[in-house]
Amino acid sequence: MSETAEEKMKHLDEMTCLLYIERQLDRARGLEVSAHTQECDACRTLLRALERESRLLTRAMLEEEEPLPSRLAEFQERARRSMQWIWGVIFGLAATGAYALYTGYIVRLQTQLELAGLSGSNLLNLLIFQSGLWKGWQSMITLLEVLAMLTLAGLGAIFFRRRIRRGSALALVFASLCALLAMPAPASATEFRNGKQVSVGRDEVIHSDLYATGGRVRIDGTIEGDLIIAGGDIEVSGHVLGDLLTSAGSVRVTGQVDGNVRGYAGNISLKGSVGRNVMLFGGDVNIDRDAKIKGSVTSFCGHNAIDGRVDRDLLAFAGEINITGSIGGSARIKGGDLHIDSAAQIGGPVNFEGDDPPEVSPQAKLASPVHFEKRRHGPDYGDWHYYLWQVIWAAAYILFGLVLFALLPTFSEDAVKSTERYGASAGLAVLAGFGVPIAAFIACITVVGLFIGLSTLALWLAALHFGLVVAGAVVGRWLMGRTSELWPLIGRMVVGVVIVRLCTTIPHIGVVLKYVAAFWGLGGISLAIYRRFQPVIASGGPSAPMATPLPPNTTVGGALPA
Amino acid sequence: MSAAGTTEPTEVITRARAGDAEAWGQLYHDYAPAIFRFCRRALPTREDAEDATMEIFMKLKGKLGQYDMTRSFTAWLYKVAANHCWDSLRRRKIRQDKETDDLENVPLEHPDPSQLEQLIEQRTSEEVRKALEKLGARARMALVMRYYSDMSYDEIADALGVRRAFVGVVLLRARHELRQALEGSAALAAGGAL
Repeated sequence: MSETAEEKMKHLDEMTCLLYIERQLDRARGLEVSAHTQECDACRTLLRALERESRLLTRAMLEEEEPLPSRLAEFQERARRSMQWIWGVIFGLAATGAYALYTGYIVRLQTQLELAGLSGSNLLNLLIFQSGLWKGWQSMITLLEVLAMLTLAGLGAIFFRRRIRRGSALALVFASLCALLAMPAPASATEFRNGKQVSVGRDEVIHSDLYATGGRVRIDGTIEGDLIIAGGDIEVSGHVLGDLLTSAGSVRVTGQVDGNVRGYAGNISLKGSVGRNVMLFGGDVNIDRDAKIKGSVTSFCGHNAIDGRVDRDLLAFAGEINITGSIGGSARIKGGDLHIDSAAQIGGPVNFEGDDPPEVSPQAKLASPVHFEKRRHGPDYGDWHYYLWQVIWAAAYILFGLVLFALLPTFSEDAVKSTERYGASAGLAVLAGFGVPIAAFIACITVVGLFIGLSTLALWLAALHFGLVVAGAVVGRWLMGRTSELWPLIGRMVVGVVIVRLCTTIPHIGVVLKYVAAFWGLGGISLAIYRRFQPVIASGGPSAPMATPLPPNTTVGGALPA
Repeated sequence: MSAAGTTEPTEVITRARAGDAEAWGQLYHDYAPAIFRFCRRALPTREDAEDATMEIFMKLKGKLGQYDMTRSFTAWLYKVAANHCWDSLRRRKIRQDKETDDLENVPLEHPDPSQLEQLIEQRTSEEVRKALEKLGARARMALVMRYYSDMSYDEIADALGVRRAFVGVVLLRARHELRQALEGSAALAAGGAL
């Protein structure tokens, strides 16, 4: 091999030869190389050597000189076993959730439904008007039950995801569910009245439910079904055999309602008799001296005066409460000030949680002294229960995040990435954080959009909690670096959620931080959803599928010259 | 290639996508040896390869929904594995700085073909595997992607983050490194024999 430099220059370089055997040269250059190698022994030998080198490499790599390690061989089995354990926990939680659902909601609501006389109403009425009155809410919202319900929801999602793959089928199921929920009771006919001034005369009898809307509504006659009224100024002096449901600027009830009274108004005054329970939201709620309520009273208001008679319990949240009438059962009151007059009579225990001790007249007839508890503003950092609950809530958020990240890995990753686009996520946080509940509320007050409104509110609330989890994941990525893998991302989420929850315990600014994190994450989620609905510009045609790897001793390059 | 050469397990993949544990087991059983071998060639130690294999299959659970059923599953799987291994190597900063330099300055030489042939003829597969372990991360990764999993130049460029035009350069440079390693091991063997 003693070629001169000039002769050597004529030969193909190694790169060209490699690209030739790898079929990476364009056709013209390939033909040139092919023609050259017909004449040049050295280049032909080089091509052959390179090709043999390729084969040697492939053979060396493909040879199975060591078996699959036992650790890997057992990995699948171990993973399966660990999954069995997880499934055990999940099914356990799901069973608890189902039990809680049945005993906590269905049985109790059924009982109250019968007591409240709402058995003839549709499910939406039940959800909207009855569930708010249910006193078991606080006991229901315990961590385990919430977790169990979440798990149940997750299992439901998995169930639907596996069995109903087509979006149209899923839409059909949900549409059916919505229709079922929103389906009104087939029983009685309903009368509608609308106008500037609506009235039912003293001698008039409505043999069904009555829906009335107007600037001024006056009911002097008899309604044999439920009375549902919305308007500016409302007076009911007649006889309602069913329930009275109302929303108005001002409401006066001087007549007789055999069922329940539920209402929202700026000013509510009860002077007549009510056969069952009363639940009122308003600025001023007055239960007049002549009022007789055979059931319980629940009120949320600025000022509450109880001068009449309540046969059962009182549950009140108010800025100021004056009691001069009689309460047959217990009284549980939260508010700023409580005044119990000398004429007051309370048959059961009185619990008051407020800013100042109650003013109780010595002449008042109470079954027991008022139990006063000073209202705490903000968390009690000296109580170890506070820290225990912080840990529990952090764990709950982590579990919530775990379920969602595992169920929706791609979307969760998108949401985390979107949240890191600070400007866009902050803008959408404002839009989704305030716009969605307002839109949902508007939907709620229109009869057609009631279900959509409530569902949207529920989703918004869930998204807000998920937002905190997403914000936690972003914080985790700041600390531990970016990753697009699921489990490392979950690890970052766990670290981040713990940090965010720790930050929320900081006095004064902790609450602000919590909402900032939740809204920020909500913005990221909204951005990820928005992107999902954006049309994707299709790239060029699909590339050809790759060939399967070549077995040893196969020619890798192009056709070799003879 | 163990799993390669067989027909694509379309039905198993469909069931695995739906969360069927048995199908997952089947996929793992069929493809784990090949992926382990891929990782073994690409990563520095056996432990790294074991960890990477498990991580790839765990990652696969989340990514399987993205798999386009009209394409080769084996090729897609190797692409996932390659990306994972290269990410892993980059994270550990194993890649040497020099590898990012002068990609364009590979001398256009015509090596002595007979010497090259002689070198290749005298080497066994085991020697090649040992020499591979001495290569830089990028060089080894490029050779494994090309000659083990038969990835295209485009895919290699995508995985390594280099322009497609430089893939040939990376591969040629990797071959040069390999030859040096083989020559070095031969010299050591000769020295030991004396």
